[in-house]
Amino acid sequence: PRPDITPLPAGTHLLFAQSGKIEHIPLESQGMKKSEAKTLLHLPGMVVIAVAYDCVDKMVYWTDITGPSISRASLSGGEPVAIVRADLESPEGIAIDHLGRNMFWTDSMRDRIEVAALDGSKRRVLFDTELVNPRPIVADPANGHLYWADWNRDAPKIETSYMDGTNRKILVKDNLGLPNGLTYDPRTSLLCWADAGTRKVECMSPSQGDRRKVVEGIQYPFGIASSGRNLYYTDWRRDAVLAVDRSAGKEMEEFLPQKRSRLYGIATAYAQCPSGQNYCAVN
Amino acid sequence: NALTGSPGDCQPCPCPEQTSCAQVPVTGEVVCTNCPPGRRGTRCEICDDGFYGDPLGRNGIARPCTVCDCHGNVDPNAVGVCDHLTGRCLKCLYHTEGDHCQHCQQGYYGNALDQNANKCKPCSCNPAGTAGDLDDCHPHSGQCFCLGHVTGRDCGHCRIGYFNLRPGQGCERCNCNPIGSSS
Repeated sequence: PRPDITPLPAGTHLLFAQSGKIEHIPLESQGMKKSEAKTLLHLPGMVVIAVAYDCVDKMVYWTDITGPSISRASLSGGEPVAIVRADLESPEGIAIDHLGRNMFWTDSMRDRIEVAALDGSKRRVLFDTELVNPRPIVADPANGHLYWADWNRDAPKIETSYMDGTNRKILVKDNLGLPNGLTYDPRTSLLCWADAGTRKVECMSPSQGDRRKVVEGIQYPFGIASSGRNLYYTDWRRDAVLAVDRSAGKEMEEFLPQKRSRLYGIATAYAQCPSGQNYCAVN
Repeated sequence: NALTGSPGDCQPCPCPEQTSCAQVPVTGEVVCTNCPPGRRGTRCEICDDGFYGDPLGRNGIARPCTVCDCHGNVDPNAVGVCDHLTGRCLKCLYHTEGDHCQHCQQGYYGNALDQNANKCKPCSCNPAGTAGDLDDCHPHSGQCFCLGHVTGRDCGHCRIGYFNLRPGQGCERCNCNPIGSSS
C-alpha cells in the first residue's frame, strides 16, 4: 500500500504520531488551528513512535518499532522511504541536524545513540554505554549540541554532548522520574522536558542551569515540542495534544484527535529554518 | 481532498462498526481512519501497540484485540511490549522470561508471578559443593545440584555426620566412634 501526503499549507505545523499514522495541526500565533488538523500520512502497518522534521528539504522523519525502521517522506508529496532497517530494535527518539545534514536516534533495547547522514549512510554508534531506557533526543545545530533523556527508574537523567560525541555530561539528574519528552527551542535557547513520573513540564537554559517548573500535576506526557510561547505535549491518559503557555505556566488548549487512541512523539515543522551556520561545512 | 474523510464514490466505508474511511489520492486506496479502540490498519485488521489478537481472523480464528498479558513483568512506560499478533511479551523485566514473562530466567529461581521486584533470585550455587553448572538450580525452590553428602540450597555445607567440603569432591563421613562421642 502506498500512503500519500497532502501538501501542507504554508506556516508552522505540529506533527504527531498516533499508531499507524502521522497527523498535523497548523499553528497560528495563539495556538492550534484545530479545525484544520488532518492526517498527513497513513502508515497502517507501522507503530510510529518518534517524529522529527528537516526544515531545509521539508521532510518528515520517523521511527517505527514494528519494522523496526527509520523512514522519511517529503511534505510536498512522495512515497515514504525506509532509510535505516538493519541493526535496530526499539528506536524511540530521533533528532535532525538540518545544518550538518545528519540525524541522531536512540534505541532503548540496544541501549545506544547513533548518528547517520540524512539518507541513512555513514552510520556510526555515538554512545553505547550508560544508557538504560534512552528515549527523547533533540539537537541544537547552531551550537553543535545534542540533548537526550534516559527514563531508567533507578537513575533517570538528561544528558548532553557535542554532536561529534565528545564532552558527554549529565545536565539534570535530580528530581526526575520518567522524562519521556524533550524539546529545544533555538529562539529562546531553552531546553524543556515533560516527565510522566513527576508529572511536570520543566525548562532550563543549558548554559545557565536555571531550572524552572512550567506546569505540574499533568497526567501522562510522552512527547513535547515547542513553538513560540507555547509548549505542546502528547498525553497517554488524555489521548490528546495539550498546549501550555510557557510564561503563564498553564494549559491553554486541548486537541482531541478524531481517533481516540494513544499518541506518541510530536515535533514542530517550522515554516522557515531557525537561523544558524554550519561550521563544519568547509571540511 | 480525499484525505479528509469522504468515502470514494459514495460507497459505505469497508470499516468495522461503521467507522469512517478516506481515499488516498494517487492510488485510490481506501483506508479506515477511525478504527474501534485497540485497532489500526487499512481495515482495522491489526491490534494497536499494547494489544494483541487478530480481529478480522486473517491468520486463523478471529481473536479480539486484548491488552498485552505479561503478568505485570513489563514496564508501563515501555512501548512495543508484546507482539501484536501472538501476544508474546518482548520486554520481560525482573529476570523473568517466557511468552508471558511467566518463568524465571535460566540461572534464577522463584515465582515469576509474585508482586515484588525480587521475584527471581540468582541461583548463585556454591562452586565448592555443586555438581555441574553454577547457573543450574530448580526453577522454583532454587535447589542447586550438590556433590556427595553436601547440602543447603546453594550446596554450601556438609550434611550432618559429614565434614570437610572439598571443591569437586563433596564431604567426608565423620566416622565418630559412637561409644565415645555425643554426635
